[in-house]
Amino acid sequence: MQDTIKNLTERFGASNMIEKKPGLIFITIEQSKAISAVTYLRDIEGYTVLTLLTAVDWIEDNVFQLTYLLNNPEQITEIGLRVMIDREKAEMESAHHLWPNVEVYQRELKEMYGINFPGSPRIDENFILEGWNDKPPYRRDFDTKEYAENNFFPRPGRKTNDPAEYMKQKMYPNNPSDYTNKKYNPNR
Amino acid sequence: MDIKKLLTPLTAWGNITKDPVTIKDPLNERPGADRYRGFHRNDVEVCIGCGTCEEICENEAIDMVAIAETKDGDSGLRPMIDYGRCCWCALCVDVCTTNSLSMSNEYTWVTTDPEDFRFVPGVDKKDWDKGDKGWKKPENYEFYSIKRVHMEELSPEERNGSFIEMMKGYSKEQAEKEADRCVECGICTATCPAHMGIPEYIKAIRNDDLEEGLRILYDTNPLPEICGRICTHKCESVCSMGHKGDPISIRWLKRYIADQNPSEKYKKILEVENLQPKDKKVAIIGSGPSGLSAAHYLALMGYQVKIFEKLEKAGGMMRYGIPEYRLPYDQIDKDINYILSLGVEIEYNVNIGTDISLEQLGKDYDAVFSGTGLQLGRSTGIEGSDNEHVYYSTDLLRKIAQGEEIEVAESIVVIGGGNVAMDITRSLARLQKEKYGKIQIITTSLEKEENMPADREEVVEAREEGCVINPGWAPKSIEIKDGIPTGLHVVKCNSLFDGEGRFNPQCDLDVKEFWPGTMIVQSIGQGMDISYITEEMREKLEFGPRGRVQTDEYFQTSLKWLFMGGDIIQGPDVIHGIANGHMAAVGIDRMLNPEK
Repeated sequence: MQDTIKNLTERFGASNMIEKKPGLIFITIEQSKAISAVTYLRDIEGYTVLTLLTAVDWIEDNVFQLTYLLNNPEQITEIGLRVMIDREKAEMESAHHLWPNVEVYQRELKEMYGINFPGSPRIDENFILEGWNDKPPYRRDFDTKEYAENNFFPRPGRKTNDPAEYMKQKMYPNNPSDYTNKKYNPNR
Repeated sequence: MDIKKLLTPLTAWGNITKDPVTIKDPLNERPGADRYRGFHRNDVEVCIGCGTCEEICENEAIDMVAIAETKDGDSGLRPMIDYGRCCWCALCVDVCTTNSLSMSNEYTWVTTDPEDFRFVPGVDKKDWDKGDKGWKKPENYEFYSIKRVHMEELSPEERNGSFIEMMKGYSKEQAEKEADRCVECGICTATCPAHMGIPEYIKAIRNDDLEEGLRILYDTNPLPEICGRICTHKCESVCSMGHKGDPISIRWLKRYIADQNPSEKYKKILEVENLQPKDKKVAIIGSGPSGLSAAHYLALMGYQVKIFEKLEKAGGMMRYGIPEYRLPYDQIDKDINYILSLGVEIEYNVNIGTDISLEQLGKDYDAVFSGTGLQLGRSTGIEGSDNEHVYYSTDLLRKIAQGEEIEVAESIVVIGGGNVAMDITRSLARLQKEKYGKIQIITTSLEKEENMPADREEVVEAREEGCVINPGWAPKSIEIKDGIPTGLHVVKCNSLFDGEGRFNPQCDLDVKEFWPGTMIVQSIGQGMDISYITEEMREKLEFGPRGRVQTDEYFQTSLKWLFMGGDIIQGPDVIHGIANGHMAAVGIDRMLNPEK
């Protein structure tokens, strides 16, 4: 595995190697060299299985992180290739030609994060969110609560209580500051 | 052909004796995984109805509904979950302040009525209530810090022999970090006697809007510098964060807001530059917390207020009962001077009852508020307690505050286990250190260590400073030789109350000790002096238990013009006094300026 890492670093400029545990390594690679590196790992280094392809929204840094988790069934080792892509121009070279299941991952990422993979089969079709017309929901600036409020009406008969307000009604309905504020300080 | 590849499939036979990982009868039994997030469980006895689960729920699936009794520290509300909206994310479980909420591994449930899918876990009984499989908040992971931000303090060595304030206050960074721990449930507000807007002012700290913070403080409490230091902080005892870790440092956060606002800006911030004066006059007896609070709210309402104070400075027990190292005089002055700047007059060195009679005040003013407090020391009544070198803590604390020299002995015994006993112990220790270079003071209480009425930190700090606190003893007698005490005889006190909860100390007379001391201080509570109420007036007033004058909810006595509050009615503590004074001001306004 050490040779593989050395080759990745020397040939593809990989950096920030993190060894999570023996046999599981994460390493970061530039966007332009990522698919070449994945191909190299598959064809030369024996990482023939794509365990998963996923993304993280680092909204503070304005990037999406793509992670290609590859498995070498002979060595029983895994390498996670991390690729940082611009959040504003969320687009990545497709890898569907390397493994057929990449197509599904890429459709999911398109729908959930809005990351496009031009040329990937059926990339513009709905994946699971039929009729979705809002921001991609896994983006961290997607406000789940606001979406729920706008799209789902509450069940009839639902009623809630604010704990502080409810305790006031029960325990001290006659509060002097209500009186002084209402009568003499209407601005407050 | 690789022989290894040929043999590999045979290894599966190695599992023949192991338990299957698949489910035997999936049509009838399909248990969720051990950490599956299924239907909720709630331990409703542990739940305090803080509503944090409702607050975090992104799907608005939770309603807080009335289930249990509403009391201090428990809203009585419990979460009702709408499973038509729940997405089983378990944020509600992970954020739960008491860990009462968890999820079972049950996920299959069929009923024909959709309304059945809205229920209160733990109250509406379900099959999955028992059992412990399912999702629980993992250990060692919290959405918020369960440890409070430590406030810097002077070391015990620096504290000894000095009356400099020991707690240093929070920095901006510390205060904001501490404020960030608050979940804004508001459970504390009901327990605070003044019902301060605690979550609101903590939020103002988070938003770094300390002027708004000050306005929120003054809505309910006109003595924030003082309360920010010495309030008994009952709010912290019910703080929902206290169930898993340290309660929020509510008191220190209040102090932070008050400390950061300069006194010269108060009137502008609090929008009191154009008060509308009224032609009605109110007299206030005593400038303790209740009197000052009443004065403040009456002045806001435009009344002409005059305070009559027996001593030479204002503040009552806050100045004359609490040592300077806990509450510096300049901070008392900051709060009081602002109240006086609203046009409140104050006359010092006037004794109501001797210099002016209460009846006269009643005639000269439209209303009178009396908050004369508890200033008389209470005697143990034991043999030798009438000796002139046996003192009351209240007298000594007052003299120290007045700058009078007191004859500090080289060895001292203090009787009492409350905060006042700790105050006098630690004050005398400082004076001993100054005078003799060493501390020799022993303080005892009837209560055992775990039941001592003093705040825990007071006991700990007193010990850090070199005082001996030895609780669980009953004073027996004071040994006197040639007119001077030589020490205190004590016997072991086993219990304080009898089976029916009456005060009835049980002592083991065989376990006894003698503690040498040429100065004995009694600090076992205080009594009131209401000798200014004449016999004639007493007949018109109603008295309740322990000789307290009966008042209505506005602290109005049966003499309509006389209102009474503070320690003589409720308490004893500063924050009750403040709340009483505010309510009395409302009562006075309701009487003098009724709504048409």
